[in-house]
Formats: sequence, structure tokens, C-alpha cells
Amino acid sequence: MTIGSELRDTARRLLSEGTVELVIGWRRGSRPTAAVPAFVTDPEEAGSLVFDGTCGTNPAVYFTRDRRQYSGRKVGVAVKGCDARAVLQLVMENQVVRDDVVLIGVACPGVLDRRRVALAACGREILELEDRGAEVMLRGAGFETVVRREDVLSDSCRGCPHPDPGSVDLLLGTPRREAASGEERERRVREFEALPPAGRWEATLREYGKCIRCYACRNVCPACYCETCFVDQNDPRWIGGTCEPTDTLIFHLIRNLHVAGRCVECGACARACPTGVDLLLLHRKVAVEVLERFREEAGMDAGARPIMASFREDERQEFIMG
Amino acid sequence: MSTAVRLDATSLDRFLRVLADAREVFAPVAATDGRVEFARVRGGEGVDSSRMLTGLSPKGLFFPEAEVLFRYDRGGILPVESPGGPIAVWGMRGCDARGLALLDRVFGSAFQKPGDERFEDPYWKSRYDRATIFGTVCPAPLSTCFCNWFGGSPSSTAGIDVQATDLGEAWLLSPVTAKGAELLMTVDDLLSPATARDVEASREIALRAQSALPPPPSLEGLEDLLTGVFHEPAWEGIAAPCVQCGACTFSCPTCHCFDIQDEDRNGRGRRIRAWDSCMFGIFTREASGHNPRALSTQRVRQRVMHKYSYFPGNYGEMLCTGCGRCVSVCPVGFDIRNVLLELVSGAEGEGR
Amino acid sequence: MSNAYLPLPMRVARIAAEDPARSLRTFDLVFEDPADRDAFRYLPGQFCEMSVLGRGESPFGIASSPTEEGFLRFTVNRTGSVTAEIHDLREGDRVGLRGPLGNWYPVDLFRGGDVVIIGGGFAFTTLRSLLVYLLAHREDYRTITVVYGARNPGLLLYKEELEAWAGLGDPGLRLHLTIDRPADGWVGTTGFVPGVTKGLAPSPDGAHAVVCGPPVMIKFTLPVLAGLGFPDDRIFTSLERRMKCGIGKCGRCNIGPRYVCIDGPVFSMAELRENPEPV
Repeated sequence: MTIGSELRDTARRLLSEGTVELVIGWRRGSRPTAAVPAFVTDPEEAGSLVFDGTCGTNPAVYFTRDRRQYSGRKVGVAVKGCDARAVLQLVMENQVVRDDVVLIGVACPGVLDRRRVALAACGREILELEDRGAEVMLRGAGFETVVRREDVLSDSCRGCPHPDPGSVDLLLGTPRREAASGEERERRVREFEALPPAGRWEATLREYGKCIRCYACRNVCPACYCETCFVDQNDPRWIGGTCEPTDTLIFHLIRNLHVAGRCVECGACARACPTGVDLLLLHRKVAVEVLERFREEAGMDAGARPIMASFREDERQEFIMG
Repeated sequence: MSTAVRLDATSLDRFLRVLADAREVFAPVAATDGRVEFARVRGGEGVDSSRMLTGLSPKGLFFPEAEVLFRYDRGGILPVESPGGPIAVWGMRGCDARGLALLDRVFGSAFQKPGDERFEDPYWKSRYDRATIFGTVCPAPLSTCFCNWFGGSPSSTAGIDVQATDLGEAWLLSPVTAKGAELLMTVDDLLSPATARDVEASREIALRAQSALPPPPSLEGLEDLLTGVFHEPAWEGIAAPCVQCGACTFSCPTCHCFDIQDEDRNGRGRRIRAWDSCMFGIFTREASGHNPRALSTQRVRQRVMHKYSYFPGNYGEMLCTGCGRCVSVCPVGFDIRNVLLELVSGAEGEGR
Repeated sequence: MSNAYLPLPMRVARIAAEDPARSLRTFDLVFEDPADRDAFRYLPGQFCEMSVLGRGESPFGIASSPTEEGFLRFTVNRTGSVTAEIHDLREGDRVGLRGPLGNWYPVDLFRGGDVVIIGGGFAFTTLRSLLVYLLAHREDYRTITVVYGARNPGLLLYKEELEAWAGLGDPGLRLHLTIDRPADGWVGTTGFVPGVTKGLAPSPDGAHAVVCGPPVMIKFTLPVLAGLGFPDDRIFTSLERRMKCGIGKCGRCNIGPRYVCIDGPVFSMAELRENPEPV
């Protein structure tokens, strides 16, 4: 029994029993390399749900879109480890009522990075993808190749600190992935930090120079739900709307700080980016800092206060005390 | 029109360098992370003519992500000077060139006031009018291509001045417009007459690509049909996964919504325009806070209606060339083809 | 090539507060360049984009009539960042202006017949332009009925002119002002505009109606006019949407296939009923 078939059965059951009126999950879309969000209200349609390494969106985002259109309704949602933390973070922030949500945890094997998959196919169009666990099969016009999962895994998942969804109502699949070591999680952050300042600046400009200010990163993020995002404010106008380095960098740096302590490093932002900006690097850096300083991570305990909204006397305060 | 000519594949670099001596030249350039985007080139180095589609459309060459409309200081307005000089673009696909031609209709006079100079966009016109476009015939469509839904094809010449076909050892260059023919004459020492075999080979390539495209569905009367289903509840389900970002809008060759903002520092500054998207939540939000399209369902519907109903109603053509970038770039896999088919079959089902 | 994005330089010649709270101010602007002034031709119903350089632009209906020479009048409601900046302007300050933009009230169609003008609150700006224009071509129009209401007396625009028009002694000009609820010192009609219009029952024969006001006022006035026998193609309104370019390029102000900045802002009810997108 695959997680996908367990998910279909579970959704079918929850909907026919009336436990929930909607299940948010994933289904196959037009692109074999990325499953798409599914919204199932009819138990007959539960058969369309899937789960594998192409399920890279974070479904928690739908709880904060469009004036929280699902509030007050009983909703089931399929969640990977990171997605579950995102929902719990929203519960902490009073955006979601825990009792209104049935968290269907799925044991996640790690999400595939579409760009790495495309490179593995040497730029040829992929028409079929089969997630076989340790390996991934890619097929296109006149070619078929098998690659190792670890070679095409998203960066977010390479360093994933919590692959198994916690505090869920149901858990599908066998949790078998180990959390990445702190070292693995921090590896790219430390590599970047090891660069001299000029190198870091150059790498940053080059990377964020690809940004076109489409806000796909912001909009797929469950943590970003301000009624008026700071980039859209006119009075005062905090930053300009161009793709000039100052404007673009300020957007990303401030967004990073706005989600500090709330970001679950799911990597949905990086996967959503149409120009492939390496967005995860800074988010991971901030998450690692938060863990070091406050010994806490986002979305771990629905009953706790959000990290950046709480203060403990025993926190590190070397920047004050010197 | 003058006859087709042949450029040896090994001469492409020299060809582009000669062009670049006398004008700004843009071509698809490969980056280290696997992306290919249009960039300014001085020669053939790094040029990737074989990638089917660049990540972003080339509309940014003529309608940049952000541009200065004018500067000002305490004395008043300081109009910006348009730099002038000819432009050449190498390696554009037919869908993109058609997209630019569609944008030229928008940025030219308003359709309601044909020929009224006041409605010409000087920023667009001053660049687009001095560009000579080389369009490359597509050898094989992607699964996301649907140019033939709206009158396009792998060998479409709309918006193209010289059509280029990659024959392997050489390029076949066929002038489509007088502008294209004139440009070729300035580099004719690099060119030789095309042979009958060259022309035949290029035709085969075009035909093969054309037949590889799945036949288009019947979309007769699409613009009126969509008006008929405007109030259908189906839009809710269609819009459900959309997260209202601008990825589709910004990668699309025909989307052109823009914002205008002033940037001031102590009494001097500039007025810029920058790409905007009807998908963004605040796009139509008024100063009072009232927003006629407050719900994402309304905005998704607006995008579909604008491209496939309002624009064709006003201009006689769809505001879409079937390049498929929106399908491949959307973070949640929204596929406009399925949406149109669903709406059309829904309308037909209801006997409209 | 002309550039419709470049504002014309104007100077503020006169500022008047319309209401005691000073949320509504009327600005008279004059052209810095006489050539601009001579070339500026407009009709009632059109609008301009007013710029405060560095802050931004905002669209305003032209409140003056083309028959009033030498200045352009705009009444600005303070709602957002640009209008707040406009409210801080002083006489002699410079502003930018792009226009005239949009279409106009079809005064040619109205000729020879009655005109019913129904306005609410600060939407009366372009209706002032229309009324002054009609009065300047008085013999071209028969009975002119004006129903103008506001929440309270303070919010009625152009109070001195309203008095002057009432005092013209023109039997064919019927001016009816109303406020929502009784107020101290108000001896005129009390009641919402739709009800007052219904009571007046202007004849639809050979008549055209122009309705401008808050959405709720329009919503309840239209059935009254329909009930009186006004067909949709003889009822006109002026619509608003968030605007930027004003020349039909930026894609923002559309209602269905119509752009408020070029196909409007003046629309007939018949046009709006054909439009799939709700107003």
C-alpha cells in the first residue's frame, strides 16, 4: 500500500463520514515533475489524490488566502512534515482553529527539485516521471533515464530537520526518514558564510539579480498573509517596484525578517520561483540563527507563543550586555 | 520578397558580431544554472539558439520590467531621451514574435482611436519600431506548446522580419519583410544563396513540427461563449489553487499591465512604470479601500476573460499566442488549456 | 511623437474649502504655458490625472465647464496619499495635469430635450460642469431638473453657486437639494435622492438623465427612473475605477471589455447592462 492509496482511502472516508467537507491535497497536473494542489469535496473524486516527491507545494497556504475562506469549515489537509509545522504555526498565530482542521500527515520521502530534474534530463523535455523512492525514472521523447533521488532532491529536503509530521491527527506511511544532521542542514549556510564579504555580496547580487518581483515566493508562503504587504504600501512607500538591486534585495531581506521564526523551511518559495533564485539559503540561515539564539523552531508546538513574539529572561543577550 | 540565403553555422558568431558593430543585438543566452534568457550580446559566445523557449518572454526588451517615464527636479519635468539606434533580436520563437506584434497593437493607438497620436506609447514605439526580428522555426513543440490554438504555428512569420531555420550545418535565412531583407543586405558577404535542398529541408522541419502539435480543439466563438459563462460557479473551482502571484503574467509574451509610481528624494526624482499583474490582490483596490475584484476568483476570471474574451472582442485577436510559459511556470500548475476546455464544454453542456 | 505620459505644468490659482471638516477642497488651476491652455479642449464629463511630482497621480473629474475660460476646476476628496498631498497645496504651487481624458456626457444627444441631473455627495463635480455648460447653451435645452443630495448640508458642494442657480428665476430650471436627515438650519427637503426623484417624477418624454453618486444611491435611483419610463439608453452615469495611465494601456480600469479611462467614464445604462462584469 502506497502513501498515495492510503491518502485516497483516508480522504474518501473522511468525506463520506462527513468528518470534513473538503480535503486539500495534491493531484497530477499537466507537468509530470510537479503535482498540483487538489481540493476534493466529493468522496468520488478522492481517487485523484496522489502523494510522492513531486508534491512540493505547501497546502497550509490556502488557510490564509482570500480572507481565510476556509475558516469555520472543517477541512482535512494532507501535510508533509514541514507543511504540518506551517499549519501549527498558523494555529499559534490565531489564523487557523486547530479543531477545524484534520491534519493528515504523510511520511515524506523528500521533494524533488524541478530544475535539478530538468538538468538530469540534459534539458530534454520530461514527459513522464516515476518516483521510485531511492531512484527517480525520467522519460521523454527518445530517452529514458534513472537518477538517484539524492541527486535531484530539493535543498530544503536535503537539510530537512523534521521530515515526519508531528502533532497530526493521522499519519500515513511509515516514517522512515531520519532528520538531517545539524551539519547537513547548515552546510550551505556555512559554505556561504565562509566566503569573503566581497564574494558574498557578489553572489547575492548575482542570485537576486534574477528576481523579477513576481512575488510567487511570497504568495506560496503560508506565513505571508498581510492584508497589505509592505511592498505594496504607498504611504510611506517603503521600497520601489523596480528590479534594481536595492529594491529587490530590500524586498527579500525584509521578507526574510518578517518570516523569521515562522518559516518552516519547506522550500515552496524556492520551488515556486520562475527564475530559480536560491531563496532557501537566506531562509535557512535565519532559521538556524533562530534555533541557535532561542533554541526553538517554528511550528513545533501549537500551544506555544510565536518565537519572535515571546521573551524569556534566559535568552542570549550578548548584543545588549556586550 | 527577396530570396532566402544561407549562413554557415560556423559563421553565426561573426554574423552576430558584425550586427553588433552597428546596433544593439539581443539573443538567447545560456546561464550556468540551466536557464536561457534574452540578453545583449556582442557575438555568438554563450548564445543558445536551440532551447525551445527562454524562461521569460522577450517582451522585456521593448517593455522593460521597469522604465523611467520622466525625471523631474524643482524646475519641473525632464523628459528622458530615447537613445535611438537600430536593434536586432536573434533567436525569437514565432509565439513570442506574434506576442510582440499583439503588444504593438496595444501600445500603438488605442483601438478606439486608431491613428490618434496621443494614444501612442512613445517608450514602446521608439524601441520596437527600430528592431529587426529574427524568428527561428521551432523543430519540435513542447508538451506545453499550444500556438496552433490561436492561429499560430511553429513556422509562423507574424512579427518576424527574417525567418531562420536551423539546418544543422547552416542556417536558412528567409526575409519576411523589407526591413529584414535590408538588414541581410548589410551582411551579405557572410551569406550565400540558399540551395533548393536547403529550402526543402527547412520546409520539412516546419511540417514535422506542425504535425507534432496536437490538433487544436474547436474554439469557435470563444469570446462570446466566455461572456455567457461569466457568472457560472465553475470559476470558484478553477480559481481555487491560484495563489495570486505574477509568475504567469510576468513570463507571458502578451501580458502588459503596468503600475506607475513616483520616486522622490527631496524634490527631485523620477516617475517609473513597472510590470504589474491583474492577479495581485490590490490591483484594483481604490483609495477608499473598496475593491471591485477583492476575491481571487474574480481576478482569475478577469485574466481569462481579458485574454480570451475582452481583447478579442476589441482587437479581433486573442491576447495569447500559446507559448505555454504560464503552464510551465505556475507554482500551482494552473493550466489555461484545461480551464478553457472546461469552460467551453460547460457552456456547451448547458446548451448555450 | 507626443507623449501622453508627460503632465502639463499648472499652477494653483484658487483654493476653496467645500465642507467645514475640510475633507473636500476645490482647486482652480491655470496653465503655465498659454499654448497648452489654447490647445486644451474638453467637454463636461471628462477627467484629468493630476500629479504631485514625487507623490503620484490621481484622476479627477473636471468640475469647470469649457464655457468657463482660463481655468480648470477640480474638487478633491481627501482619501489617500496623493489626495492628502494635494490638500496641502497652496496658491501658487505647481502641479502636473494630464488630459482631457475619457469621454463626455453626450450633450449633443441631449439637445432639444429635457435633462435630468441627479447627483449625490461629492460626485457632483462633473455634474457642475454639465449644468454650467447647459446653462451657457440654455436655448438648446428645455427643462433642466437637478436633484442633488448629500448626507448633511456641509457636504453639498458649490453651495454659493447652488443658491445663485436657484435664484436665476429660470422657470425651466428646477433645482432640488436634499439632505439625508433633518438638520439644524436646513429648511429644504429631507430625504434620500431616489425618493426625492420619485416624488418629483420628471417626465421621460424626450428626456435624458445623468446620475452620479455613491453606488448605493445609483442602485436605488435607477429603478425609480425605470419606473418613470426612462429607457436604459437615455440614462447615463460616470464610473470610477482605480486608474494609472488613463489612456487604455495599463490594463487596470476595465469593467469587462470597456476601459473606464477611454470608453468611459461616462456610460449609458444600456452599455452597462450588456457588460458581463458587475459595476
